Amino acid sequence: MSATFIRFDGVRVMVHGKPILTDFSFTLGAGERAVLRGKSGSGKSTVLKTLLGLYPLAGGRIYFEDKPLDPSTVQTIRRRAAYIGQEPILGAETVREALTLPFQFKAHRGNKPSERQLIDALQRLHLPPDILDRECRRVSGGEKQRIAIARALLLGKSLYLLDEVTSALDAESKQAVLDVFADPDLTVLSVTHDPDWAARCDVVLELEDGRLTRTLRDGNA
Amino acid sequence: METLDIALPQMAVLYGIVLLPWLLLGLIGLGLSRAIGIGILRMSVQLALVGVYLKTLFALNNPWLNGLWVLVMLVVADWTILRRAGLKRRYFFAATFAAVTASVLFSTAYLLILVIRPPLYYDARYLVPLAGMILGNCLQGNVIGLERFYMALKKNENEYLTYLLLGATRWEAVRPYFREAVKAAINPTLAGMATLGLVSLPGMMTGQILGGGEPWLAVKYQIAIMLCIFASTTLASILNLKLSLNIAFNEFGMLKEDILKKG
Repeated sequence: MSATFIRFDGVRVMVHGKPILTDFSFTLGAGERAVLRGKSGSGKSTVLKTLLGLYPLAGGRIYFEDKPLDPSTVQTIRRRAAYIGQEPILGAETVREALTLPFQFKAHRGNKPSERQLIDALQRLHLPPDILDRECRRVSGGEKQRIAIARALLLGKSLYLLDEVTSALDAESKQAVLDVFADPDLTVLSVTHDPDWAARCDVVLELEDGRLTRTLRDGNA
Repeated sequence: METLDIALPQMAVLYGIVLLPWLLLGLIGLGLSRAIGIGILRMSVQLALVGVYLKTLFALNNPWLNGLWVLVMLVVADWTILRRAGLKRRYFFAATFAAVTASVLFSTAYLLILVIRPPLYYDARYLVPLAGMILGNCLQGNVIGLERFYMALKKNENEYLTYLLLGATRWEAVRPYFREAVKAAINPTLAGMATLGLVSLPGMMTGQILGGGEPWLAVKYQIAIMLCIFASTTLASILNLKLSLNIAFNEFGMLKEDILKKG
């Protein structure tokens, strides 16, 4: 297994006084692809969000590249990670503005992508170049997901937290997304019910009522 | 020229003017009869008490007493702003008090010391009504600003988080809502300035004219008060929102759940 990238150590998360994750531990190496599986409400999405510091920890610790997640390190994770949900928010009027939005922020100012880079990122995800000038409210859910992935690629993100990211995609678009995440430089932690996606993952984490019930690594328990 | 007094029997007649609208509102079934009655009663009692207090204040004209009166107005304004904006007092009281006090005192002092220059800067006849007018307008602006900002953040929480996860600092992520909130806070004052004199004669000017003042003098005072209201509302809204940011978010940049009042 590659060097430890992410480590959850006995993590407990409570939301509105209700336990959502209990004694949750796992490790993920750099370049690995993991999938979280379980029934609705089992805490899968909470795992992704907790890693980004969106939920406070009621117990345990999370480590990112061996550094504990705390207010001083959360920016590092957020800078390196992309979270893409079922209905990503593009936060702009047009697709072009959405793709270049993060480059207005101090962290990415000066790295604004060229027109060529924008088009390349879109084409990797089977999106036509003329979508750049389309209004965001006129793009479909599946297109939004791929635009959000393209934006993360332009930012050079290395950790992808994907929540049902193939749910709204046709076969061809799904293949494009699968190809993007076949890149060994990218680490992926995902939530999906898609068997094609799960088949391409190195690690399968099964959850039930906020507890990890089984971990399969390369098909072995 | 003296202002004509309104004798007590005429005051009783005055209340007659609300009878017809009261009756009409009752007939169309708005269910506001009780609220209107309480509103009119409260206004009358409050103003009567203020009349008694101001008479004493003007007679004594003591700097400490005048200062205390301004302080009471500031505390009541702070209380009202947070209640109407739906924010919990135990978190925001000090920040709102600091922002409103600094802005109102700055504008009032500017007006009194640099512009009007009365023989006594603490003269109750100038200090109390001017600070009161500035504060009253500042209060409205701050209610709108805070309410808009935190409601927008709550409503657009996912958008705010998206900005954070795209590398924005907390300030960069809240800036769109911050701008809208400041705009909403100063809009009524801006609109008021734009139509003043065309649509209505402002209260202060009308008061001075009825009190026997020269129209030109009344105009100058009205311009002075409008500029001070604009300055204090803008400063207080920006300062108040800025100070509240340090209270409303946890160390991970997330909006705290318990800062807003329920409902």
